[in-house]
Amino acid sequence: MKEKLKETVALLQSKGVDYADCRFVRREKESLRASDGNLDSMSRNLDVGVGIRVLTKGAWGFAATASVSSADIKKAANKALQIARASATTVHEPVKLAEQEPFVDHYQTPFKKDPFKVATDDKANLLVKACEELKKSKKIKTAEASMTFFKTSKLFVSTEGAVIEQDLLESGGGFDAVAFDGKEAQKRSYPNSFGGDFGTGGYELIERMNFLDHTDRVREEAIALLKAVPCPDTETTIIISGPMMALQVHESCGHPIELDRVLGTEISLAGGSFMTIDKLNKLQYGSKLVNITADATTREGLGTFGYDDEGVKAHRTPIIKNGRFVGYLTSRETAPVIKQRSNGTMRADGWNRLPIIRMTNINLEPGKWELDDLIADTKKGIFFDLNKSWSIDDRRLNFQFGVEAAWEIKNGKLGRMLKNATYTGITPEFWNSCDAVCNRKHWHVWGVPNCGKGEPMQTAHVAHGTSPARFRNVKVGVTK
Amino acid sequence: MIGKEKLFNRMENVLAHSGADQTEIVYIGHESGLTRYANSYIHQNVFENNCTIYFRTVLGKRVGVASTNSLVVADLRKTLADSIEIARQQPENPHFPGLPGPAKYKSVDTFDETTARFTPNDRARAVKKIIAEAKRKRFTMAGSCASESGEIAILNSLGVRAYQPLSAASVNMIAMSDTSSGYASSTSRHVAELDFVGLAKRAVNKCDLAQGPIQIEPGDWEVILEPAAVAEMLEWLNYVSFGSKPFEQKMSFLSGKIGRKLTSEMVTIYDHGLDTKSIAFPFDFEGVPKKKVMILDKGVARGVVYDRASALKAKTKTTGHAITPDQNDEGAFGFNLFMAPGKAKANKMISGVKKGILVTRFHYLNGLIDPRNSVLTGMTRDGTFLVEDGEIKSGIKNLRFTDSFLRAFKSVKAISRERERIASWWSAVGCTTVPTVHLGSFRFSGKTEH
Repeated sequence: MKEKLKETVALLQSKGVDYADCRFVRREKESLRASDGNLDSMSRNLDVGVGIRVLTKGAWGFAATASVSSADIKKAANKALQIARASATTVHEPVKLAEQEPFVDHYQTPFKKDPFKVATDDKANLLVKACEELKKSKKIKTAEASMTFFKTSKLFVSTEGAVIEQDLLESGGGFDAVAFDGKEAQKRSYPNSFGGDFGTGGYELIERMNFLDHTDRVREEAIALLKAVPCPDTETTIIISGPMMALQVHESCGHPIELDRVLGTEISLAGGSFMTIDKLNKLQYGSKLVNITADATTREGLGTFGYDDEGVKAHRTPIIKNGRFVGYLTSRETAPVIKQRSNGTMRADGWNRLPIIRMTNINLEPGKWELDDLIADTKKGIFFDLNKSWSIDDRRLNFQFGVEAAWEIKNGKLGRMLKNATYTGITPEFWNSCDAVCNRKHWHVWGVPNCGKGEPMQTAHVAHGTSPARFRNVKVGVTK
Repeated sequence: MIGKEKLFNRMENVLAHSGADQTEIVYIGHESGLTRYANSYIHQNVFENNCTIYFRTVLGKRVGVASTNSLVVADLRKTLADSIEIARQQPENPHFPGLPGPAKYKSVDTFDETTARFTPNDRARAVKKIIAEAKRKRFTMAGSCASESGEIAILNSLGVRAYQPLSAASVNMIAMSDTSSGYASSTSRHVAELDFVGLAKRAVNKCDLAQGPIQIEPGDWEVILEPAAVAEMLEWLNYVSFGSKPFEQKMSFLSGKIGRKLTSEMVTIYDHGLDTKSIAFPFDFEGVPKKKVMILDKGVARGVVYDRASALKAKTKTTGHAITPDQNDEGAFGFNLFMAPGKAKANKMISGVKKGILVTRFHYLNGLIDPRNSVLTGMTRDGTFLVEDGEIKSGIKNLRFTDSFLRAFKSVKAISRERERIASWWSAVGCTTVPTVHLGSFRFSGKTEH
């Protein structure tokens, strides 16, 4: 394959293109899902192909083919060139790429146990057993447990001489239970909602989640939610759990710092960003306790890799430093706009998609608080746990998030449970009201395997290292 | 495009090698191009030639699924063997109904040669026309223009032989000034039906009218929801309430309420895969013919969509709404939602509004807050207007709504006779076809700065 890709970039070079790269991607996916005591489905998918990106006359073209014969790859290369020429008919400012060292390297995800080699029975039995435990009460209407594994081999070759091979392994899973009493239905999940938790690594990540140690709590909390009172409509102090903070960081910091979005190229689908270039190094995004870093090297993070899909080595970049906005996620095309070089965040959802700027691991750095001390320090408030709904405006300012479960905090102690709880705010006002972040003991990198962006739609695997944090004067409970 | 005969021959050759009790092959192939533009230039322009071949094999009540995107016979046979191996390793699934038998399909026009041949240069020319309309007002344009052709074939060892070629084209655009934006979109099986210039004029006009937006306070407002806004609400309700899985899990607002009146009797919502006013398609991904399914009929809850497995669980019949084999455990899904038209003329509807808000579209809707009560939240976007005494008074800064669909749609005052096709992520096999809706009461819960 390496020779085929080298021949293709040489062919494009001979046609006088400004730049070209070819990516071969082979991705295997295995999914298992159990519900109500049965293994409902197990599937494997193999997806192979080559994507070719061409820059000519200052404009981009991209073509991708599932057939990896030399003839079809060359045909796709010519198609990409033809498309780039069509794009060039509307160019105002020719694309100029930031300088980049052409690496020749190999990267491999560290792992202990290959999930594709773990016996199906072992995986299936764990999922079925988790469902059986969840369904020990008749009030649990449905219980589901799932695991998904990805094994991806990538080869990147560019006209600049880069030849980069990567072997990535990702694993994740979780479970949930829906309780129903004839009127009300409520769901609780573990370890996170929408499929659980994911990371780069092997089956050891699944084993470490200890599914069966958490089924009793999840079942009982789902049932308890049926009798819980609705979240009041008020303004109060809130403490947000680690996994819910991951979603908060994702939507209100991760997306608005994507420089392509800031420059307007995502307007048609996901919108723009309030974090415009004039605000770089000036905006007090959050309180001084807020430190956020984009780190594609975080151990076991789902947004961890060796090189991005432009051949830029994985970076660790400060985004928010002591509350001040100091950095973007960039690409070779966008970084020159802010007089920088790319910090390596261009990734494509497979061979058949164009790389675009994606989050890596966007981490809220840990603070100093023990969670128990933080709750004890809160006279009145609400504790929010696990995301249930999410919505944010097209500049990433006005957000509203709902959670699976919440608890009142009264005089430093968790009190009664609240259902259908939501909180809402305006991004910089909200982050500036942060007065406590929990310490590293409570910090975990939460994998998000379903981050959507781009047209055609691309799903990225990203992550957020977070610990619980406290925010003051937040509007909660708007559900009607 | 491989073509019906060639495709069936190739797949039957593989099918013949299956040692499973029952075997199903689903082939989905496409060639698609998409041109994306922003700041009035093309910044992404892509082409993809791809396919997915799913094998679902059955050993007794044990089911295995494997898929590949390689058409090489050896790879197809290996994937088939993988699916059998997966089935062998599984426990029996008592809810599996077996594969369907052969069926007759209605003839539906799903393919247009001109659309299939629409080139990157054709798309670039369309985009240039769109940008030119914005330039007249010194606005910029952002959006995308997509075209594709493809074919779907479904075969199984019980005799199902379903094949359908398809084409689809869609365009969306946002005209932008320093203080406002305006949106327009369209989708069709026939690219010639997309009026690029007319749509661009509409987006530019909205952007122009919305300049210098004023801030208004959230609260309970009378609203006119244009088709894009209505479609976005229905797409979320489809996901959280109209499919067999949320209905069976009791998470749907329809669960336990069939036969009860839930909204204004002016509201009728149904799924109809055979109606060519939508992006029609004759069969589902099990090869079962699609049936029209009433969801709400004159405000009364009537039912949800089913595939074979969920129908067996619910002791009813499939409605022909199975999704691809790798997602069978997600239950059935409606790809062709409609809201029935009313009697009002769309362009006259604001004349009946004393004081209210006109919403062009929503952004980032979510229906998971309290799905049993059909609570939705989302932001307005790209053309939100204050209406006074039957006329647009000014653009307004965007608002967040948080409201129950059922509550809001009890207050329907009028529905337009005209409907629009609104593309979604499943645009090659369906879309949402809806009118403009006038509501007497709609709850906005927050505001933003633009």
